[in-house]
Amino acid sequence: MRTQDGILHILSRFFVERFPVDKMNFHYMVEQKAVPIHKMSWGYYTGGLTLFFLIIQIITGLFLLFYYQPTVSEAHLSVEYITKHVSGGALIRNMHTWSASCMIFFAMLHLLTAFAMKAFEKPREFTWIAGVLLLFITFTFGFTGYLLPWNQIAVNATKVGLQSVEAVGNYLPAFMSDWPHILRETFQGEASVGQSTLGRFYAMHVVLLPLVLMLLLGVHLLSVQLHGMSRGVDEEAKREEKFFPFFIFKDFSLWAIVFLILFILAWCVPFDSFLPYPLLAPYNAMGSTPAGIKPEWYFYFLYYPLEILPFWLVLLLTNLAILILLFTPWIFRGTSRKTLCLITVVASFYLVIMTIFGEQIYHLVKH
Amino acid sequence: MIDSVLFIALPYLAVLVCIFGSIFRVKMARMSYSSLSSQFLESKTLAWGSLPWHIGIILIILAHFLAFLFPNNWQSLISNKSILLIIESAGLALGFACLFGLIVLTIRRITCAKIQAVTSKMDLFILFLLLAQIICGLGIALIHRWGAAWASGTLVPYLWSLCVLQPDTSYVTDMPHLVKTHIILAYVFLLVVPFSRLIHIFALPIHYLHRPPQQAIWNNPRHIEMHSLEIKAEEARREFIKGGVGIAAGLSLLSVGALDKIFQFFFGPRLSPKEESELMALKLERLKSTSEQRKLELERQTSKYILVASLDELKENEGKYFIDYQMSPALAFKDKNGLPIIVSAKCTHLGCTVGNEVNAEGKVLCPCHISFFDIHTGMPNADAPAKTPLPIFGWVLMDKSGKLLARRTSKGSIEGNTKSEIIAGANVYIVKSDEDKV
Repeated sequence: MRTQDGILHILSRFFVERFPVDKMNFHYMVEQKAVPIHKMSWGYYTGGLTLFFLIIQIITGLFLLFYYQPTVSEAHLSVEYITKHVSGGALIRNMHTWSASCMIFFAMLHLLTAFAMKAFEKPREFTWIAGVLLLFITFTFGFTGYLLPWNQIAVNATKVGLQSVEAVGNYLPAFMSDWPHILRETFQGEASVGQSTLGRFYAMHVVLLPLVLMLLLGVHLLSVQLHGMSRGVDEEAKREEKFFPFFIFKDFSLWAIVFLILFILAWCVPFDSFLPYPLLAPYNAMGSTPAGIKPEWYFYFLYYPLEILPFWLVLLLTNLAILILLFTPWIFRGTSRKTLCLITVVASFYLVIMTIFGEQIYHLVKH
Repeated sequence: MIDSVLFIALPYLAVLVCIFGSIFRVKMARMSYSSLSSQFLESKTLAWGSLPWHIGIILIILAHFLAFLFPNNWQSLISNKSILLIIESAGLALGFACLFGLIVLTIRRITCAKIQAVTSKMDLFILFLLLAQIICGLGIALIHRWGAAWASGTLVPYLWSLCVLQPDTSYVTDMPHLVKTHIILAYVFLLVVPFSRLIHIFALPIHYLHRPPQQAIWNNPRHIEMHSLEIKAEEARREFIKGGVGIAAGLSLLSVGALDKIFQFFFGPRLSPKEESELMALKLERLKSTSEQRKLELERQTSKYILVASLDELKENEGKYFIDYQMSPALAFKDKNGLPIIVSAKCTHLGCTVGNEVNAEGKVLCPCHISFFDIHTGMPNADAPAKTPLPIFGWVLMDKSGKLLARRTSKGSIEGNTKSEIIAGANVYIVKSDEDKV
C-alpha cells in the first residue's frame, strides 16, 4: 500500500513538474518569456517555420477539399480539374505540395537543432516526445497525401511502401508473422491498392491525422510556452530578448519572407515538373508499372538503404533509431552539447548525402 | 476668359511663385524651412492624426504623379479591370484615412490649449484648404467614378500641354465643377507653399526611415533613467510601424496578383460548353474503365473460367496483360511449341507490375527495382531483389463451342491433344481449379 502511494506521489510530482498549472497564465507564458541570444539562436526559428508551413497546409488543404473527389475514377480527373480549370487552382495545389516538402524539411531541421541544443532536458521531455511523434505524423501525412492524386507514381509507390510493411513478417516470431500482413490489409482495405485504400488514406489525410496532430501540437506548444526556450548552449547566455513582442515579431517577419518565397516558387515552378509524364498519367491497373517509381525525396534516406542493404539490417537500424529518438531525453541526459552537436552533424551529413546522392550510390553499389 | 485665367494663368503663376518663393525663403529665412513640429507640446493625438494623414496623402500624391509622368504605362496598367478596381478602392481608402487624420489634426489644433498658442492664421487657412481638397477628391472618387482611368485621357494631356508651354484648356473646360475645383485648389496650394508651413514638403525626410531613433531629453537624473525605457518603447513602435507597412504592402501586392483569383476559386470555373462536354466525356470514360474493373471482379468471383485471349492473339515476344483471379495483373505469351504461357505479372519483390516485353534471353523486366524473370520458369535472375519466382498459371484451351481441347494443370503437366491443327483458333482460359477432365 505504501509503495502504491509512493508511486502515485512520484507520478504526480513528475507531471506537476512538466505541466505546472500555476504557470499556465498569460503573464508567465507570454509576457515573461525570454529568448536567449547566442550563436545558435537561429535554431529557435525552425519550429515556428514548421508551424507556418502547417498553417499553409491547412489553408491550402481546405481549398483543395472543395474540388477533390476521393474515388478511383474521379480522383485524378478532379486534381486535373483543379490545376486546369479552377481559378488559382494550380497555384493552390503547387503551394500545397511545395509547402508539404518544406514542412517536412523544417520539421527534420527542427528535430536536429533541438537535439543539438539539448532542448529535451528536464523538464522538456514531453516537448521532445510530442515533437518526435509529430514528425512521424508529418511523414504519414506525406505518405497518405502522395496517393491522393491517383497517378501512376502515386499508386505504385504506395504499393511498394505497403508491401515493404509486409516484408517485416519474415523477421517476426511465428505467431506474429502474420501481423504485418493483417496490418497492411487493414490499411489497404482490399487485396490490392484500390478504392478502399484511397478512401482510407483520404480519411486519414484530412481528418484522422489532423486531429491527432492538433492534439500533439497542443501539448508541444503548451510545454514550449510553459518551460520557455531551452538554453541552447552550454555557457550561460549573456543576452536575452523578450519573446513578446520582439522575438515573435522577428518570427512573423521571417514568415512573411518565407511566404513570399513559397508563393513565387508555387507560382513559377510546378512541383510536377520534376517528374516525367508517364508517372503522372492516371493509374492504369492493366498496364505495366512505368520505370522510375520512387517515393518523395523525404523518404530517400530510408528508401535507398532499403534498396542497397539487406532488409533485416535496415529494419533493425530503423527500429533502433526510433527507440533512440523516443528515449533521447533519458539516453543523452548527461551528454554535453558539444557531443550532441557532433552527433547531429553526422546525422545531418547522412541525411543530406542519402537525399541528394542516394540514387548515384544505389547505381554505384548495384552495377 | 475666366477659364484661361484659372487654367492657364493661375498654374504658371503658382509654379513660378512656388519655385522662386521657396528658394527665396530657404535662402533668407533658413530656420523657418520646417514643418514647425508641435510634437513636443502634444504627441498622443498627433500620432492618430499625422500618421494616417501623411501615409494617405503621400501615396495618393504619388499615384497622381505616376499617372501624370507615365501616362502610357499607367494606362496599360489600369486596362486590367481588377487592377483598376484595386487602385480605385485603395485610393478611396487612403483618401478616407487622410480625411480621418485631417479631422483629428483639426480638432487637436482647435481644442488643445498648448497648440492654440502656436497656431497662426495661415495654419488654419491651410487646414481648411486641405480639408476642402480632400473632400473634393473623395467626392470625385465617389461621384465621378474611375478617375484613375478617365483622368489619363483628359487631365493628363491638359497638364502636359501646360508643361510644353502650349496650354490647351479644351480638356478641362467641360469638366464637372467638382473636378475643376480640385484642380484650382491644387494651384492654390502651390501658390501658398512659400508662405506657409507647407514648405516642409521639400524637406523629404527619407533618412528618418533608417536612422536610429533620436530623442531630446532633459539633463537630469530622473530623465536619464527614463531615457533607456523610452528608447526601447520607441524602437518597438518603430519596428511595429515598419512591420505594419511591410504587411500592408505585402497584402496589397498579394491582392493585385492573387486575391481575385482566390475569390474565383470558391466561385468555381465557368467552362465553355465545349470544355464542359470534353470534361464530361473524360469523366464517363474513367467511370467506364472503373465499371469494367468491377465487372472483372464480379466475373472472377462467380465464373469458373476466365477468358484470356484467343490463342492466335498471343505473341512470343510481347505478353498480353489480363487480370487473374486475385485481381492482380498477369501476362500471357505464346511458347515456341504454339502453346500458351501464363505467368503472374505481380513482381514477387514489392508488387510492381512486370513489363511485357520479352528480351533475347526470354526474360521480362520489373522496372521498379530491376528484376528479370524467366517467363518459362518464373525464376528471377540471381542477383535480383526479387527472391521468389513469379507463379506460372495453368490454362485450358477451348474451342468456340466450349469444348475442352487441352490444358496445363497448375502443377505443370500438359493434358489433351495439343496438335496445332486442333488447337488453331481456340480460346485460352485460366481456370479456378484443376478438377475438370479433358
